[in-house]
This record gives sequence, structure tokens and C-alpha cells, in this order.
Amino acid sequence: MPLSNAEIARLVEDRRVHKRVYIDPEVFELEMERIWGQAWIYIGHESQVPKAGDYFTTNINHKVPVVMVRDKHGAVHVLHNRCGHKGAKLVEQRSGNARGAFRCAYHGWTFQHDGQVLKIPNETGYDNTGFDLKDSCNNMQKVAQSASYRGFVFATLSSDAPDLETWMGGAKDCFDNLCDRSPEGEVEVAGGVLRYEHDCNWKYIIENLNDTMHPMVVHQSVVQAAQDYIDTLPEEAVKQRSEAEIILPFGGSYENMEHMGITGFKYGHHYDGGKTSIHADYSVDPEYHKRMVAAYGEERTKEIYSFNTHNTLYYPSLTIKTAVQNIRVVRPVAVDKFVVETWSFRLKGAPDTMLQRTLLYSRLINSVGSMVGPDDLECYRRVQDGLHSDASEWVEMYRQFGRDEDLGDRVRGGGTSDLDMRTEYAAWRDYMLQEAFS
Amino acid sequence: MSADIDLIAVEDFLYQEASYLDNPDLEKWLALYSPDGTYWMPASENQHDPVNEISHFYDDRVMMEIRKRNFVHPRASSKDSAVRCSHLIGNIRHAGRSDNGDLIITSNFQVVMFYREEQRVFAGTYQHHLIERNNSFLIRSKRVNLINPEAAHKSIIIYL
Repeated sequence: MPLSNAEIARLVEDRRVHKRVYIDPEVFELEMERIWGQAWIYIGHESQVPKAGDYFTTNINHKVPVVMVRDKHGAVHVLHNRCGHKGAKLVEQRSGNARGAFRCAYHGWTFQHDGQVLKIPNETGYDNTGFDLKDSCNNMQKVAQSASYRGFVFATLSSDAPDLETWMGGAKDCFDNLCDRSPEGEVEVAGGVLRYEHDCNWKYIIENLNDTMHPMVVHQSVVQAAQDYIDTLPEEAVKQRSEAEIILPFGGSYENMEHMGITGFKYGHHYDGGKTSIHADYSVDPEYHKRMVAAYGEERTKEIYSFNTHNTLYYPSLTIKTAVQNIRVVRPVAVDKFVVETWSFRLKGAPDTMLQRTLLYSRLINSVGSMVGPDDLECYRRVQDGLHSDASEWVEMYRQFGRDEDLGDRVRGGGTSDLDMRTEYAAWRDYMLQEAFS
Repeated sequence: MSADIDLIAVEDFLYQEASYLDNPDLEKWLALYSPDGTYWMPASENQHDPVNEISHFYDDRVMMEIRKRNFVHPRASSKDSAVRCSHLIGNIRHAGRSDNGDLIITSNFQVVMFYREEQRVFAGTYQHHLIERNNSFLIRSKRVNLINPEAAHKSIIIYL
């Protein structure tokens, strides 16, 4: 029997969450239907499909295959990746170009890039059968809604979801800041993607993003290893290495982390940082700075730099780093498995050194071979294993409860508070009880 | 194959390097690299550029030194579980010389890795650029081309 709403409601309290949300396959299946099947899910960036017929495929939750494609008029569509005939997945490759039309490998039906069925072979066999090729049910179906904000394409399987910008609320400022860091106001995907399999529940990574009580513990080893070696180098040699300014802030003190602050929004979004973050002390490339000032003027450039966030979560699928220009995308697979994709972005009009630093960051922090990601994953794994114990049914999120400041469209709290987790579970509950959009 | 290349010596050297990764001894492994040595594992096929494209690994000496210290750090929780590998290297070929005279050696590898109660298999080709020195070699660069660089891998906590 599926979980009743009363049972679901009991899994989340204001300061505790039940262990079943992490380890119960039934809860996972419901999450796929009610969270991932209702929320706006990040699909990809428009720069991944620059030309007519270019496509990119992914799943919207653990199963539903979709394809993002650009048509000959320049519009980007998100379609169900399913043939209108027998239901075969139409596009198998992750990306490519469907010249002219999508063609099904099975019986050769073809479809325009907007999903409209184009031709079917030996059509006379349908004469006088009641079959109507013009019936839209034969097309590749569009997802309920898709939309793009500054090139970032989202889709939702729910026709009840509010429009994308309303749904993002104040968290939208972070997309603006990411793009405004380009002298041309635009970013594009560059340098390829990293994929990282995590054998644990998908929620650990989004709860970890702005959990600032963990870096000085989990990442102590890499910070010390880096510091120990750096101490043997001449000072001039250290200055030329971006690795130091990327790795060392992970050892930041509790006071520094607290100072970043966390801001939470409706629908589970949040970011930490704002005035400052662990990325705030990165050196500024002089050539980049020159181009920014030429584009925006001194004052606006300073304003753009001064909004410095660490991670911004667009619950549940996307987290972005504005100051670093990379994003991570969560793709759930099973109750104890998900894949994280790390995409790096070029700031259009910026010197190549900026993309090079972004890629260095992605490699140092987010790759399977990094010295940061594997220690995070190790801890998620241990939680996944530990929660099977019956010692307690609950996971706590008490830190600084009751001290959050309600600012109307957002809630502000201390950087080391559990405001991020509480924000996520308020949304979790609303989506799971199907009250999010009512 | 040119006559002046002692492929047996090259083979010995590659086997020696692999043995330092089978039961990881990064101190000894690192000593096989030149001061400007690099280790590169691209994240896509036919990648040309480690700086403007993303890689799983692209370490120079500095990153190798940091990794060596991190690998044995008592608080690196991902290293609490032992990692043991078995490298098999074959199809060793001399593939010419680089502009600066380094010997270019390509080979095929299969690595079985045991980590966190699980056995995984990696396969692909290596490309080594070797500096000939005192009847042995130093590694200027090692490139690891996985047959599945684009796949979603789990953590890879040791050089392959």
C-alpha cells in the first residue's frame, strides 16, 4: 500500500526528519513522482544546443527520458524522448545533431524538432482504420512546461507549477550574478562535463552544500596536506598557484562560516554567503577586471563582485557557484544511488584564464579523482549505512532553530545554522503532500 | 621500432611504476617523475588540452606532493578503507619521440581495484613520455586514456 499523506506528514517535523526519507525505496519512488515530477528540474544550458537540430538528452527524474533540442527558428524545446508510434526512446546519444528530423530506429517514423510528427512509412496501411496522423497524440510530446532563464533551461512535468521566475523567487539573483560576471552578460558551457556516481541517497549532497559545519572536519586532511607542502615552497611560488586559494578556505573557522549567513526561500531554495563566502578572497585577474570595468563601470563592477555566494540550491536538482562559474546537477537513480554532473562555464568576453580557473576548481573539488569530493561521499555513505540502525528513528536539524529572521520573501539565518536543511524539508513536505502549488 | 630502444628496459620500468601503485607507495612512485612531471586522466575521449578542458586528474609535481600527504593523512576518511590494485600492462610500443627528444611509449592496461569492499575494473591505454637517464628513465608525463572516460565513475582515490 502506498504511503498515506498522514504517514508522510509524520516523517518531517520542524527540527527533525525521519530516517525513512533516506533509506526507504517507497519514499524514494514517491519523491520521484511528487518532488521531481512537480518541481522545475534543470535540463541543460542553451549553449549546449547552439544550432538547429542540436540536442541534449537526460532524465527528468530517475526514469522519464527527455530531450532538449533547438528548432530551425531558434526556439529550444524540451520533449519527452519517446516515439509517438510504439514508444521507443527516440534519441539514444547524450548529445548530437538531428539533421532535419528525429528518426525512430525501430519503424522509421520521423519528427520535427518541435516534436510534430513528419512522416511515417507505408502510410496507406492506416487508411480507414480510424487512425489520424494529424492527432497530436502521435507527436513527440512536449513536457508540461519548459522555460529558460538567462540560458539555463528547466522543465517540469506539472502544469500546476508557477512560472519559472516565480518559482525561483529571490534565488534568481544568483543566476543574474553568475551571468553579470561576464563582461557581455552571458555565460556558455565550456570544457566538458564530469560525472560522479554516488552510492547513497540524493539528498545528502544538497544538504551538504551549505552545511558549513562539515568542511573543517571532512576536508581537514586536504587542507593540512596542502598547507604542509606549501610551507616548504618559497612565497613567490605559492602566489602563482590558484590551488592554494581554492583549497585552503575549506579549512575556514566556524566564525568565518557563521559570518557567511544562509538565506532560504520558498520551494526549498537557499544560498550561503552573499556579502562574503569561501570564494571571496580569490585574486582578480587584471585583464578580466579591465574588461569588466569597460563593460559596466567601476561602481557596478564592484557591486557585481560584492555579491559573493558559496552555493545556491534550486531545489531539488541544481546547485550553482556564481563566484566560480560551475554548477552541479543532481540526477537521482535509486534510493541509494545518484549521479552528480559538474558543468563549467565560460564568462563570455572574459580572458581564457577565467575558464581555466573554473576548470581547475571543478577538477580539484568535484572530480572523482579530487581530494574533496571523495571525503564528502565517504561521509554520505557512512550516514546511509548508519541510518539502518534502529538506535534512533530521527535525524536532527536543530542548529539555531528559532533564531531565523523572516524577511517576507526569504528567511535569513546564521551560516552554521540548519536553516538550509529546514528550508529543504519544508519544501519536501509541501511537495510530498501535493500542497506545494495549491 | 627503432633499433636504439631497449623495450625490455622500458617494460621493466613500466612494471616497476605499476608496482608502486598496486600497493600504493606514493613516495617511491613520485620519485619516478621528473620535476616537471605530470599525470593526466582526461574526462573525455580525444581530449587535447588539460587546461582548457576538464579532466578527472591533471596533477603536476605540486599536486602530486599534496596528494601524497593527503593519501596517508589520518583524517582523510575516504582513505580509511585500504585500496589495492592489480595492474596488467601489455601491448607496449615505441610510438616515436616528442619534440624535446622524450621517448613516447604507449601501452594497454587493465587495472582491477579493490576498495570499500568492492572490486572494480578499469581499462584503457597509457601514454608515457620518458626521459632516458642512467640506464633507466624518468617520467615527464603519463596520460591515462580510460575506455570509458565519460562514464559516471565512483571515487578514484589512487592514480591508475
